[in-house]
Amino acid sequence: MDLSFYTQEVAPAMMRGLWVSIGLILPSAVFGLALGFLAGTLRVYGRPVWKRAAEIYGLVFRGFPLLVQLYIWYFGLPQLGIYLSPYAAAVMGFSLCSGAYHAEYVRGALRSIKQGQLQAARSLGFSRTRAVVSILLPQAIRRALPGCGNELIYLIKYSSLAYMVTCIELTGEAKILASMFFKYLEVFFVVGAIYLALVSLASWGLNRLEKLVSIPGFEYVRR
Amino acid sequence: MTPPIPILRLADIHKSYAGQPVLKGVSLEIERGDIKVIIGPSGSGKSTLLHCINFLVSFEKGRVWLWGKEIDPANKPELYAYRQKVGMIFQDFNLFDHLTAIDNIQIGLVRVKKIAKRAARERALAELARVGLSEHAHKYPAELSGGQKQRVSIARALAMDPEVMLLDEPTSALDPELIGEVHAVIRDLAAGGMTMALVTHEIGFASALANEILFMENGVILEQGPPATILSQAKLDRTREFCAKIAHLHTGGRKPV
Repeated sequence: MDLSFYTQEVAPAMMRGLWVSIGLILPSAVFGLALGFLAGTLRVYGRPVWKRAAEIYGLVFRGFPLLVQLYIWYFGLPQLGIYLSPYAAAVMGFSLCSGAYHAEYVRGALRSIKQGQLQAARSLGFSRTRAVVSILLPQAIRRALPGCGNELIYLIKYSSLAYMVTCIELTGEAKILASMFFKYLEVFFVVGAIYLALVSLASWGLNRLEKLVSIPGFEYVRR
Repeated sequence: MTPPIPILRLADIHKSYAGQPVLKGVSLEIERGDIKVIIGPSGSGKSTLLHCINFLVSFEKGRVWLWGKEIDPANKPELYAYRQKVGMIFQDFNLFDHLTAIDNIQIGLVRVKKIAKRAARERALAELARVGLSEHAHKYPAELSGGQKQRVSIARALAMDPEVMLLDEPTSALDPELIGEVHAVIRDLAAGGMTMALVTHEIGFASALANEILFMENGVILEQGPPATILSQAKLDRTREFCAKIAHLHTGGRKPV
């Protein structure tokens, strides 16, 4: 078996692609989480107009296929005179879509916390906003973690759509390489394994994080 | 001589839930050092009344004064300052589940009173010691018994330096053998001169502490007076009937001595 194809062609292309993918995933994860916590919180505790806005956000960004969203940002916005780089369009698309899903987990987590705690906080002189931020959200984060972690794992894989708006990441590099050498089976198997590794790493990290922030008697019993 | 200004005064509080009236014009004055015990059947509006005093529920009509100054709930900074003066104890404790006992007390001091962390910690420890829970400072709510949780919640309220405490059935969610430790803490507060309004069904405990018992039914205060009068020689048949029933419950049918 000739390994030179892997060392000469596959490895450098995959390394290039991997860094672009990581460069897409990390900021999208951060912006997505921020958006999700904001939208999810507004849906439960926002004033009516903000609540409505967050609802519409969730509906639209979970309703439009992600690929369609990316096409709108990259190919559609120039019609309005807004030109985004492929990278910017992809990060924006991923963040907005991911945030819409995170918001659902956050909403559920906030709803699961007994209202009495909000009342107790207010009885101590907390404003509603301060009570939500310093009493309810720290608990909601812990409850939302499994769901949000799942969404982060999805994000790793839907980052592979970035090449459709010409941002050449792992999958994009793989596609170019595979068609150049007509070795689809080999190349996509390697690229799949790299995603699998990324996902495994993320699951391990998320598990560690869940354990790290767990509070006795607050989450389900872990043995 | 002018009469003393009451710490708390409520006038003509009306509250309904979904068109169903719960409070139909309740007025009340609480003077410094008073211990008012509110009794009455479920659904009579006792708990709602306490929540109205603190503006934790909004009400359609009625006014509230603290030291003669009317509270305007639309004025938020004033409302938050007022709530610090009026401590509230809930039936089901409402501790913050993600915080240890000491942090439950500390968070209000740091976030609301803006006290430096170290000073807040000392104060929180002192309050825990006051309710006899120093050795449980670092336990989470789930690791505490019901009685301990309620004592932490009392410590948490006391840390804000309240001038009045509102206690909404503080022991009714507790196992019978844990009630005593919470009663002891409340008795200490009374001995320290704390002004209180207490909703309870523990009639024996209440009558020993109260300087006045208020009997509520159907959203109004039906009758009020010193414990001895209300419990044994109430004017209204309904009051006598209710008092007899709860006394019977607590003495197991024997005549109270």
